[in-house]
This record gives sequence, structure tokens and C-alpha cells, in this order.
Amino acid sequence: MESLWLLVPAGQRASGEWIDDTLRARAEEKGLLGRSPRAGDFPRRRVELIRDVDPTAAVNRRYRERGWTDGLPIVPPTLGRVDEMLAESSLERHAVLGEVEPLGGVATIEKVAANAVMAGCEPSYFPVVLAAVQALLDPAFNLRGVQTTDENVAPLLVVNGPAAGRLGINAGWGALGPGWPANAAIGRAAHLVMHNLGGGWPGAVSFAGLGQPGRYTLCLAEREDTPWAPLHVELGYRPEQSTVTVLRAETVINVTGGLDELASVMGSAASLFGILHSGVPAVILSPFTARRLAGEGWTRARVREELFARGRLAADTWRRSWIHATVRASDWPDWAIAAAESGSIPAVREPDDITLIVAGAELPIPQHAYCPSWGHPPCRVTREIVSR
Amino acid sequence: MLRASAVAERAGVPTASLVCEGFRGQAATTATGLGLPGLPTALVPGHVDVQSVDELRQNVATVTVDAVIRNLTEAPARVGAAVVEPGPGDVVFEGTLDEVNRFFYENDWSDGLPIVPPTPDRVAEFLRFCDRPGETSLGVLLPDRRRATIWNVAVNGVMAGCRPEYMPILVALVEAMADPRYGVEHSGNTPGAETLIILNGPLIKELGFNYEQGALRDGVQANTTIGRFWRLYLRNVAGFLHHRTDKGTFGNTWRVVLAENEDALRRIGWSTIAEDEGVLAANAVTISRYTGGGVIASVFGNTPPRMLPYLADAIVAKVGWELLFTVGMGAGSQRPLLILSPILAETLAKGGLDKAQLKERLFELARVPAGKLERYVGEWTNLMPGRPTLTGLVKAGLIPAVFAESEDPERLVPIVCRAEDLMIAVSGDPLRTNAYAFAHNGILGFPTTKPIRLPAEWSRLLREARAR
Repeated sequence: MESLWLLVPAGQRASGEWIDDTLRARAEEKGLLGRSPRAGDFPRRRVELIRDVDPTAAVNRRYRERGWTDGLPIVPPTLGRVDEMLAESSLERHAVLGEVEPLGGVATIEKVAANAVMAGCEPSYFPVVLAAVQALLDPAFNLRGVQTTDENVAPLLVVNGPAAGRLGINAGWGALGPGWPANAAIGRAAHLVMHNLGGGWPGAVSFAGLGQPGRYTLCLAEREDTPWAPLHVELGYRPEQSTVTVLRAETVINVTGGLDELASVMGSAASLFGILHSGVPAVILSPFTARRLAGEGWTRARVREELFARGRLAADTWRRSWIHATVRASDWPDWAIAAAESGSIPAVREPDDITLIVAGAELPIPQHAYCPSWGHPPCRVTREIVSR
Repeated sequence: MLRASAVAERAGVPTASLVCEGFRGQAATTATGLGLPGLPTALVPGHVDVQSVDELRQNVATVTVDAVIRNLTEAPARVGAAVVEPGPGDVVFEGTLDEVNRFFYENDWSDGLPIVPPTPDRVAEFLRFCDRPGETSLGVLLPDRRRATIWNVAVNGVMAGCRPEYMPILVALVEAMADPRYGVEHSGNTPGAETLIILNGPLIKELGFNYEQGALRDGVQANTTIGRFWRLYLRNVAGFLHHRTDKGTFGNTWRVVLAENEDALRRIGWSTIAEDEGVLAANAVTISRYTGGGVIASVFGNTPPRMLPYLADAIVAKVGWELLFTVGMGAGSQRPLLILSPILAETLAKGGLDKAQLKERLFELARVPAGKLERYVGEWTNLMPGRPTLTGLVKAGLIPAVFAESEDPERLVPIVCRAEDLMIAVSGDPLRTNAYAFAHNGILGFPTTKPIRLPAEWSRLLREARAR
């Protein structure tokens, strides 16, 4: 028999209740106990001891049955591993970052650390996870909306500054694909925090109709090796600072080609929620294109203006759309109604609402991505990554 | 302040409680403890004490005012479901001694020292020393609103390393803790005062308490483990935890029990602390919270007139902002404690002083300039709004006339409202001329004395316990 001392990663409200009791009730109502047959069946305290001949497997089995995982195996959040995480932050373990919507589990530093361990984070990633969680808890992010909507939105985490290189957060080849431990684990940690402290269990609390693979992880760094100043410097940070910027991304649409192709995707039904909510979408631009445009004297602002000017949804398409038939006329923002009268609607209210990120491989057939936004209010939340 | 808001909300009056940034966590847990987890609070960024008027105005205008309006105009969130805790007889863990200790420590149930595992057998042994059943309620303790019971007294007594026969003292202590007069809910306040337990009665000798050399030092089981029990009980039942419900800036290790030297008291005809507090039972505990204290070394002189100025000066020296409790919040609740070694008490008694006379003499001598007292509570701290003067407080009938015998800021005024507010105990090395003075935390830990009830079969039970 071997023993593992584990920090219970589940969410507890400030009032002392465990959110799993609510989750158990919701899961029962929805007939979802197949996913988590032992939801709510765990010791109601800070620490649990598991003894087994194969304790790692036992922890994985129990956590899966309690509904605490995203379906993939987790790293057991042992006290030792949690302490190693905590050593990377100057915040005290019981310090409170906030209550994670919608069920309001308290995000203490050690609860976040337990979920970061489970996600497979190296301790050095922890300051990024903390910054990301702080951003998620900003009221502007509307975590309650993200966690409960029937849309498939997920947080997109963009890391800037020296931390990205130091931690190996990939901005190049396959940055949004598998194979990169930091990208995989940091984004996953944010989702496990949403899942275990906020209670965003699919089907029980989270009603995303289809979901998206970005709900496992959606995290990349920006390439800062182009002539342009990086995103965080545009947002007012110094180059030597490190930041994480969090956006609400409805999905990630690959766009191979140039600005015209990007504009045509932006001026499509993909942008309907963005128009409705005056959203802040992301455009991930290939470094090849960024370098070429910069060489021709383009600034980041000009790229945004160009996408704003060219990425237009025809007013007729808008009027025929399902969403136009569904929501009240008064729900549409004035800028969109005014634009429709002139024949077409831009994907965003103004050019600066486009978050331009340079990432991906240096391919001569450049690949970009458009991440349309969902939800109120307009949101681009940046937090500095504070290492010990 | 949240307590006032909770009362108002319960009466149907909307409230907004302004909470400085560093206190938000405490506010949430305190509100829950008050049974109103949705109690509305309004954030004040940073801490008001270090902000200029302009900064404060800016913070209040941009952040606080909006929240106040929401607090007062929106319905508070409804109360959630109850929190289920293990029942009294539940076995929460099985394992080796090392595992038990780790488990208890990691779950916040221990203070970092090893505990004695509270097994059913050990708890049962403690319960034999109490004639009331385990489920008997001794009150409900804030901030966690957990019920104090004979059972959980026994469990924490076992954990602290007490012997079963200490149980009657532990029960009396928790009765004192639960007495509203004491104010256990303040135990996490920022000055971080610690409780001192004073024991009187024949139990001092029957249970082997130290009341002589090193009376305030750990190292004697009865004094030490009962002191530890106090803090474990505050942790496990009242619910005071570091960084969460506790906001004591520095705090202090728990104090060991102070047992009085009752032989010395009897020789000089002085009353005990418990008797001074009006409890005439054979055995009694007195609790009171002190922000700090210190030794008064080498009290020289063989007559009261030579000794008293030094003792009075030392009492004054230990008291600063605590004067708030003399003239301000809970005016008249400042109760400094002076501990005299037996030889000092005997010398003062030989000089013709009984305890009441000694208090009168110290009341006259332990004085501060009126202007200084006003600065402590009105200028150096912001604890009294509006910077009232002592003469103004006297005119308002809030403090005795002795504080306004003239308008001269240099006039000397007492540090307590009445001579009997001074407390005097006798303990420590019998032949050493040292004393000890404690500064008191006023209404936030007011002296509270409780009689100790012994079980009907006390003598037999004690004999059996000694024989084991």
C-alpha cells in the first residue's frame, strides 16, 4: 500500500458549502451521473489521504467518478506538488483571488494550485495560471456567462513578454496544437479552475451545445520576433513585463491566405454574436504576413483598419440571419444599425476592438485564424504575470 | 461593523458595510458566520488609514459609492444550504500516529505541535469527569457559529495533551468563552491580543498546577496543556484560522494558565482574583484578553511608599492606545492586570495595605497627562471619531469626573475609571521581587469568571486517575 496526501481540488463557497452538492443535484436532474457517478462523494475537508497499491490510478479513478476531471488523466494534487507550485508565487496559500462563477467556489491560491497540478503544470507555470485566473475573475470577462451559455465560447489565453520564452510557451509551429506542455497545461489549468471551483460541468451547469476542443486548452504565446511591438506593449505594458491577455473566443477558424481571406471570414455569419455584443475578437496573423506587411510600412493599427474596412457583413445577410429573427431590434447596437443602413456592417464597432496577435509558423502559404467573440461586455482582460 | 449590519438586515433595514480591501475575505466569512452570507458589502480600495483625503475621496467616489447604492437598493443574495460536518461519534480517520498528526494538521485542526489522537476511548475517559452528557450545549460560538458541547470540549482537551481530570476546568473555560460578556467573536481582531486564564481554588494543588517559579512559562502539564486547549478550541470550534477568520497582525503564542499562590494570599488576608470578580465558588477560572505585558524587574523598597511609584509607572508604561477602552469604545472596560510575586504582596501587606487599598493607591499614582491620553486615542490613532476631549466626555456623562478636574492638558488623569478596575494577582517565584503587568483589550475580551463544577464522584475519579 502506498499513500498520497491530496489537497481536495473541489470548490467551497465562502459560506462553507461545497459546490459539488449543487453539482450533484444538477447532474441528477439532468441524468448525467454516468459521467460522475460519485459526484459529491468525497471528504469535506482540505486534505484527503488515499491509500492504494497504485495510488495514482486510484486518485484518477476517484476524481473521474467525482466529476473532477476533463476526461483526461490528471496528476494527483499531492501536498508536496501543491507546495512546489506555491513556492513560485509570493501570495499566501489562503489568499483569495475571488469567487469563481457561477457556483462561487472560492479561488484561494492553494485551490488554484491543486487544479494547476492536476492539469500537469510545472511549478514554473504557476504565475501564468494565477494571472489567467485573475483575468477570468475580472467582471468584464463575464465568467458566469461563459460557463453557462449555450454557446461554445472558451477563454483564449495569449501570453506576452519574457515569461513565454522562459517557460516554453509556444508561439510558433502548431502553437494551438498538441505537443507543447506549457500551452497544454496552462490552458487546461484555467479550465479545471472553471470546472472545479466554478462548477462549469457540461450539461449540468454549462449548456454549451457542442463545446469546442478549446475548452480543454486554448493558450499560446505571441511571436515577438517581428518588427512590430507585441500586443502587451500596444496595451501599455513594458516589453520586459510579462502578461496574459484573456479573450472570449467562440471558436478558432483557420484562414489560409491574406488579409482579403481574413476579411471575408470576418464579414460572415461568424461575426454575428460579435456584432450583437460589440465584441472584441482576435485575429491571429501569420508571422510571414506580419513581417511582409511591416516591411511594406504597415503598422498593426493599419492592419486592423484594413480588416475593419474590408471585413463587412452584407446588411441583407444580416437581415436574413437567424439571430436577426430571434433578438429584438433594440438589442442591436446603434453602430451596427447605422452601418446596416449604409449597406454593410463591420465585424467590430471600431478597428481597435480587433485584438491582433502574431503567431504560428513562418510558412510562405500563411495561415491565420479568426476567433470571433461571444458575449457581453466587450472584453480584453490583461494581467501581469508576477513571478516570485 | 458587520454584526451591526446583520442586525439591521434581519430587522428588514437595508445596509451597506464598507470593507477595506484587505478585509474582504474576513467580511465574507464573518457574514457567513452571522448567518447572512449575502450580507452586502462595499469595497474601499486599499486601506483608508494610509490614504490622503484626496485619494480617499477618489476611491470612494469611483468604487465605493456605486457599491453602497447597489447594497441599499438590491436584495441580498439568499442564504445557501447548511454545511454538513462530521457527527460527534464519527471516526474521521484511521492511521498511524504520524498519519493522524499529519491529517489533523493539514486539515487545519491542529496548531503545528503533535496532538494526542482523540480516539473514542480517550474522549470517553474525559467525559467521565463531567456529570453532564456529551451533547450538552455550552453555547454557540462565532465566527463559525459552531455549537460548543461537552463532547467537543473533551475532544480538544484530548488533542491538547490534557489529562482527563482537567475536564471540569475545560468546561468552565468554554462556558466563559461563550459568555457574551467576554466577547469571543473579537478574538481575531487586529491587535492580536491573547487570553490569559487565571485559576483559583484547591484544584491548583490537586491537579499539580505551577504557581511559583516560572508561573507563566510552559513546562508543567496542567498549566501548559490547558493553555493550548484554549487556542485549539478557538481554532476548531469557534473557528479562528490564520489568514481567514483571524486578522491579528502579530498575535502571540497561547499563554499558559496562571495559577494564583493562594497560600500567600491567605497568609496576608487578600482575596483571590475570582473573589474580586464576585465568584465565591471553591474553584473558578477567570479569562481576560491582553494585548501584551512585561516584567517589572527588581521592585526595590521595603514599604509601600517606596514600592508603589515604580509599580504604578510600570502599569502605565504597558498601556498606550488601550486607553481607548478607558474613555472611548466601551468606556470603563480597561482592566489592567498586575501580578505580584508573593514577597512583594507580603511586603505591601506588611506595610498596611489590603488589596482594595492597594488598588486605591495605584489608582492615584498610575496617571498620565490628560493631553497625552487625548493624543493616544484622538491623534495618534483614529479610534475615537471627532477627537472628543476628556472634559467633553465627562460633561456627556461617559467617564467619571476625575478626568476633568481642570482644563490643564498637563493635569494627571487615571488610566482606569475606578480603582477596582485594576486587577491584582499573586503568583510567581515566592522570594523574588519581580512583578508583571498586562495591558488589557477592554470590551474585546472582558474579564469573565466562571465557577468550576466538579463531578459528584470527583474524589474517587481523581484517585483512580492518579493511580493510572
